[in-house]
Amino acid sequence: MNKRGRLFKTVDILLIALMIAPVLCAIVLKVLTTPASDGITITGARIYFEIPMPIQNLIITESQINSWLVMISIFALCLYFTHGLSVRSPSKRQHIAEWIVEKVDGLVNGNMGESFASFAPFIASIIALSAFSSLLSLFGLYPPTSDINIVAGWAILVFALITYYKFKCGPVNYLKSFAEPIALTPLNVISEVATPISMAFRHYGNVLSGSVIAVLIAHALQGLSRLVLGWLPGVLGEIPFLQIGLPAILSVYFDIFSGCLQAYIFAMLTMMYVSGAFPAEKYEERKKIKEKRKQQKKNSQQNLEVN
Amino acid sequence: MIQTLDVISVNLWQILISLCNLVILFVLLKKFLYKPVKKILAQRQAEIDKQYADARDAKDSAELSRQEWDAKLKAADGEAEKIIKNAKEKAERQGDKIVSGAMTRADEIVRQAEADASLELKRAQDDIKREIVTVSTALTEKMLEREINEKDHRALIDSFIEDIDDDGNE
Repeated sequence: MNKRGRLFKTVDILLIALMIAPVLCAIVLKVLTTPASDGITITGARIYFEIPMPIQNLIITESQINSWLVMISIFALCLYFTHGLSVRSPSKRQHIAEWIVEKVDGLVNGNMGESFASFAPFIASIIALSAFSSLLSLFGLYPPTSDINIVAGWAILVFALITYYKFKCGPVNYLKSFAEPIALTPLNVISEVATPISMAFRHYGNVLSGSVIAVLIAHALQGLSRLVLGWLPGVLGEIPFLQIGLPAILSVYFDIFSGCLQAYIFAMLTMMYVSGAFPAEKYEERKKIKEKRKQQKKNSQQNLEVN
Repeated sequence: MIQTLDVISVNLWQILISLCNLVILFVLLKKFLYKPVKKILAQRQAEIDKQYADARDAKDSAELSRQEWDAKLKAADGEAEKIIKNAKEKAERQGDKIVSGAMTRADEIVRQAEADASLELKRAQDDIKREIVTVSTALTEKMLEREINEKDHRALIDSFIEDIDDDGNE
């Protein structure tokens, strides 16, 4: 490390700052814009400003801003991990970076097969974005994943990928698969459309319910401590002692565990659906057919040349 | 006063933006995490492969030179054996020659000695004969006291001795 010089260290520090700055920004923004209130308010994201657009106004909300900040953080983290890679003497962070890449590669290969190896960065970005977004609530910020719009965007992207791969298997097959038993056609269509909706609502609902329960319990504990310890003189009576402890444990479950679990589930479902839409055998079959066609073309060309 | 959204509110533009966000993050991760790390991994793999190949080459060449030296050693062993065999044969031949030379020489000596001995014997016999003749002549002269024909006498004694000789030889 000592050999790398001052410039390297400066860049390191800048990158770390770039990682932390977005979170600090979000916290500052939150503190500045939050009105002091005592009651229970469960609402959606805060609206910062609106831009008039066709169909619907574009609303820039807390969840938008926060997800952008998360993206900046992840980007800085990537740069930090890949800063100063070396073949011979990998640093600790390089080990971590390699571990992440290999793990995600292994996950994708195990669940989707070799033909989808190029999906690894996509899966990694889903996991990273979802997990870090959910983890924002650890800082008391609004987690973007508890906004249906954000998660719906991802689910629609996944749906588009599924449909694309089903089409790749043959458009006729795709359309035929809806009318497999003809009587059930409407159900088939509904189940197809339900995929992204269920994905979006599963993720969104889990994160939102977590924060709702956390808020409810925190407020309940505040009320309880006021009731039980209210007789204490002066300021002591105002401090909600019972809020110490339980909310932290709940936060470990709802923010860390549930957030990471939902990210993992979303990524797994993505892999399952996409690879299910385009099975490896069919991929091989199509490849073979294509090669055969190429061979035939070549042969015919050669024949023409010979003649 | 800052407004908030409802808990569930759908906004198309927000959905679109979030979709784009995911795509952008995908591109970023691919370009800034996957590409460099994969490159490094590939380089490391290439280096390891190269080292393995080098080691294999070195082992092969060592094996080759070992075989070469084995062959050379075997050839040298054969050469040494041949030289020893030749030397032995030569020594044997020479020894035989020497022994046979010695044998013939010994035979010659023996024969010479035998010849000498027989000659000596003959001479001794002649001497004895002559002595006897002389003695008997003198004896007879004394006994008879008279001169006899020496010539007849000698012939008589010779025949007598011849008889004795024959008797002795039988």
